[in-house]
Amino acid sequence: MLKILDFFDYAKSQSAWMVHFCSGCCSLEMAAAMGPRYDWERYGYLVTPTPRQADVIFITGLVSKKILPALLRTYAQMPEPSYVAAMGACAYDGGPYNDSVAVIKNVTEILPADVFIAGCPPVPEAIITGLDEIKGKIERGEPSAASHGGLWKQMKF
Amino acid sequence: MENIKELFEPFNTQYMELYKENWLKVKLESSSDLLDVARVIKNYGIRSIATVSPTDFIEDNIFEMNYFFEDLNTYKNVWLKVDIPREFSECKIDSITPLFAGANWHEREAHSMYGVHFINHPDLSWFIISADYYGKFPFRKGFDWKAHEQNLIENMNTIVDDLYDEHNANDEKFDGSKTILNWGPTHPASGPIRLKVEVDGEEILAIEPDIGYVWRALEHLVEEKDFLGSIVALERICFMDNTNSMICYAQAVEEIAGKEITDFAKMMRVLLGEIGRIVSHLMGIGGFFNTMGLMTLFMWAIDLREYFLDVLENYSGARVATASIEPGGVRYPLNMKTLELLDVAIEEYERTKDDFYNIFLKNPLMKSRATKVGIITKDEVHDFSLCGIVARASGVKTDIRLDEPYAAYDKIDMDYMIEENGAAKNRLDVLFKEIAQSISILKQASSDLRDGIKSQIYNPQKDHLVKIPKKLPAGEAISRVEWSRGELMMHLVTQEKATSPYRLKIKAPSFNHTMILEHLLKGQTLSDIPLVFGSLYICQGDLDR
Repeated sequence: MLKILDFFDYAKSQSAWMVHFCSGCCSLEMAAAMGPRYDWERYGYLVTPTPRQADVIFITGLVSKKILPALLRTYAQMPEPSYVAAMGACAYDGGPYNDSVAVIKNVTEILPADVFIAGCPPVPEAIITGLDEIKGKIERGEPSAASHGGLWKQMKF
Repeated sequence: MENIKELFEPFNTQYMELYKENWLKVKLESSSDLLDVARVIKNYGIRSIATVSPTDFIEDNIFEMNYFFEDLNTYKNVWLKVDIPREFSECKIDSITPLFAGANWHEREAHSMYGVHFINHPDLSWFIISADYYGKFPFRKGFDWKAHEQNLIENMNTIVDDLYDEHNANDEKFDGSKTILNWGPTHPASGPIRLKVEVDGEEILAIEPDIGYVWRALEHLVEEKDFLGSIVALERICFMDNTNSMICYAQAVEEIAGKEITDFAKMMRVLLGEIGRIVSHLMGIGGFFNTMGLMTLFMWAIDLREYFLDVLENYSGARVATASIEPGGVRYPLNMKTLELLDVAIEEYERTKDDFYNIFLKNPLMKSRATKVGIITKDEVHDFSLCGIVARASGVKTDIRLDEPYAAYDKIDMDYMIEENGAAKNRLDVLFKEIAQSISILKQASSDLRDGIKSQIYNPQKDHLVKIPKKLPAGEAISRVEWSRGELMMHLVTQEKATSPYRLKIKAPSFNHTMILEHLLKGQTLSDIPLVFGSLYICQGDLDR
């Protein structure tokens, strides 16, 4: 029985699907990672327009105040286990917009991330490496960080 | 120019002077004259307004309103200024939206950010800013945003409550087959923008764009950074084409500092600017077909784009966020490897361009789908102050590279790339033509650089940068460049011995292009939204700033 469940985890990890959700400029490098030169579909990653079939959501760089409810709503619609990948400096601490009046500086306190991908914007190789880490998490059956923490549970969205 | 000067004779003016070659800078004595002046200007034939921008002089207790009127036919423009008081109760001025339809959103923005009340504006509702800033006017000097940011959760709740209120109000308002559909902000083709589409069945009755989903308040942000650090914020106006926005800002700073950059740096700016344009246009044509449901071209375009990104990466070390242009020239010396990579990229373009052209531009399905939707007439271009490929696809000859040559564009052989009908397909045609033209400009620039280095006119290791002082004198400047999406204008104001900008107004092209969506889509069907939206080549980054 255990073996079969392990196999399901393995199979799940080999086909991690992402929600098509862009809130910032890093999504441009996501498009590049999708493109022919880097081609993340080789590893089983695919972008899907609906959150209901997705395993991973990307915080693509900056999250402004206006789009945060949309991000949380999209995340809440994903079936468990749903992982969060935080892309770029903005998702970490606001990055170049740290002094901005309109950008949320602590997105990952609100929606904790399973993996941080460094860069401004991260290069496509880094994005694929980050997804590999999530792959490992799914394989090991670890729960996502946002499922047991984060301010998002106290917030309206 | 003399004719335009005569227009102002009946009015009291503080001063009237020529600014650069194409601008007449006028300051009015009294704000009550504004509407009459605007009428005279419009009757004379200057029909477009680039932007409306208040500057907050807190010490003098006034707002200085700036109006930038543009004529897309003769390229002779008027920069109008007038002072109004700063107190909320008296901070009022006549709206010019009834005369210049293009001023509509610019006035709403000025109202939301600064609290300027525009009398007789058709709909002066909140714009761009999130609900927690309603009535707080975040761009006013002296607004304590750090204190405001302390209560993040309450602020977020305000925003969400506002959304629910709107939703409930809509529920009560509509019944039967009429309803409001939200297109975006999570629609795959929309990006972070929300169109409130009022539909009756399939037919669109009205569209109201709700923007501000990537609002980063860049105009406010640069006031906290120094002149050099500002390029980091400003290159991020839109990542699709990040080089040209830095050129625009750098020119404004150089003008106030009174420095001239070297010929080598000017030519490098042409080179980097055109690479930025190609990179962006390739995303643009990819996006166009993407919205029609065809991913192939998107993939091909991204593949070709990588070769041009290689050039930028070799030059600056970064693929997208290059930070390669700063006040005083370009940031890095040039090594010949960059030009070799550019040759590789151009070769790749020459190899694939026929396939692009034959398979996609001659595509009968695309032709029948896109020739009849989203038609923009010449009059609309003038009235709404459209620019860039959208204006040129409607047959209006406007291109800042030719109208008001900057960098080394006066040495380049190029022409206006225009089309006649102004439909979605024509905009795609213009994009293709412009990529071809940019390749030709790149060839000219790279051969000029090679010749110059060979004959030792240029020194690629030293000429790239002229020192710009950290502290600038008081002054103001406007700078315009042809961005990939159209005219980008920056209005920079500095104060004596300042280390950071006092006010930087960014006029970005997508703002006006989104304004016209409402007129284009009324009476069409829902399925036209992605296509028309995609063909307007809108980037949410420069829409919200």
